Amino acid sequence: MQIDWLTVAAQIVNFLVLVWLLQRFLYRPITNAMRRREERIEERLAEAKAAREEAEEEAASLKRKKAELEESKEGILSSAREEADELREKLKGEIRKEMEEKRDAWRAHLAEEREAFVSALQRKAGQQILDITGHILAEYADMEISERLVATFADRLASLNPDKRAKLTEAASEAETAVVETGAALTSSAKRRITRALHDVLSSDIDVDYREDEEMVLGVRLTIGGVTAEWSAARYLDRLRAELDEAIDLGSHGGGPEQEHVATAERGSG
Amino acid sequence: MEISPDAWVLYQWRGLELTATIVFTWAVMAVLVIGCRAVTSRLSDSEKVSRWQVMLEVIVTQIRDQIDDMGSGDPDRYLPFIGTLFLFIATSNLLMIVPGYQPPTGSLSTTAALAICVLIAVPLFSVGRRGLGGYLRTYVRPTPLMLPFNVISEVSRTVALAIRLYGNVMSGTVIVGILISVAPFFFPILLQLLGLLTGLIQAYIFAVLAMVYIASASRDRSSGQEGDRQNSKDQGD
Repeated sequence: MQIDWLTVAAQIVNFLVLVWLLQRFLYRPITNAMRRREERIEERLAEAKAAREEAEEEAASLKRKKAELEESKEGILSSAREEADELREKLKGEIRKEMEEKRDAWRAHLAEEREAFVSALQRKAGQQILDITGHILAEYADMEISERLVATFADRLASLNPDKRAKLTEAASEAETAVVETGAALTSSAKRRITRALHDVLSSDIDVDYREDEEMVLGVRLTIGGVTAEWSAARYLDRLRAELDEAIDLGSHGGGPEQEHVATAERGSG
Repeated sequence: MEISPDAWVLYQWRGLELTATIVFTWAVMAVLVIGCRAVTSRLSDSEKVSRWQVMLEVIVTQIRDQIDDMGSGDPDRYLPFIGTLFLFIATSNLLMIVPGYQPPTGSLSTTAALAICVLIAVPLFSVGRRGLGGYLRTYVRPTPLMLPFNVISEVSRTVALAIRLYGNVMSGTVIVGILISVAPFFFPILLQLLGLLTGLIQAYIFAVLAMVYIASASRDRSSGQEGDRQNSKDQGD
């Protein structure tokens, strides 16, 4: 056990050299690398934190936006619903209006058709009644009825109101002949009776011309100059026609048409 | 049988002897520097790190933490000195498993050189930290009467450092040598394994004690008591 001081000195130098070398090749690079890594990790952590905060902010804003969207969605839905309601009401109104128009047109058309039908019916019914009446009268117009007709004419002539009589008298004084028209030919006695009655009423000897007119079913028409007086069963027929029209109108508005027809027929026959 | 590598002269030139101590010291230095250079030349800053770099980082971090535990502050200031002491002694002792190698720490000259380095480093670090006056005041604490004892303590602990390391390493070598002559199979291997453990522990003790001395001299308050405590610890070893 001895100490070689030269070796000691050499070892001191060696140790110091080793300290310098290790400082250069070990401690400094390693500590620097670790420090850099730590800084890097810190930086990354900070970045991650910032990114997370950003993401959280983003998430919060998205959440907010979503809520706003929900709200606006409600608004849009309700306005859309209102619009739809309005549109529906409008369409309903239009359809109702259109239906009204169509109904009116249909009613008008119906009324026209009814009118046409009624007039046709009227015409036909009138014609039929006239025909029937004509036939009946033609068949049963014997002397007795002609006599009754002439008698009635004479009575009516006698009970003529003063105005009419004055007009007839005035016409008779100017005209030369009076024309008497009947549905059927009159017997000579009947003609005489009428002529006499005329002469009585008008107090003149006017000539009487007897003519036949098929349209005069059961009546007598007296024409002197421009003045005409008529007594005819045709007015009964006119009244019948008017009542028939009334019955048809009532029938088209509801009620029992058959009874009305019966009533009309009864009235017509009376 | 050569007990000390100092006695193993490899080359002689004009009275200057190149002993095995010097040569093996250079070898240890070469291993350390080349190994560190090989790893640190490809250092990575990223998260992907090579295993060798991880090993070096673990070693450096552990040494720094140990220094920090001594409570002297700023471990980077002491890291090169303390770290190199530990790495040099540990490498010297661990290379014992290489056949034909003799640890330079088995030479009293080497351990004395290292102890002298500590002896010089303690006042240097202390003066650098507290100033010359501050350092000198540690010798007259708690009373000026303690000055001679403090000086003796300073010298004796240095000697103790050198002798402790030398004795442990040398004894390991000697025991292996004796055992080889008595029981040449198996037992020397066990003793060598024990020697590796002892060598590592000695490296740790040497470095920690050096740091304790430096720290106790650098502390402002109660440095005297701290120093006494360390002295008693030394005597215990």
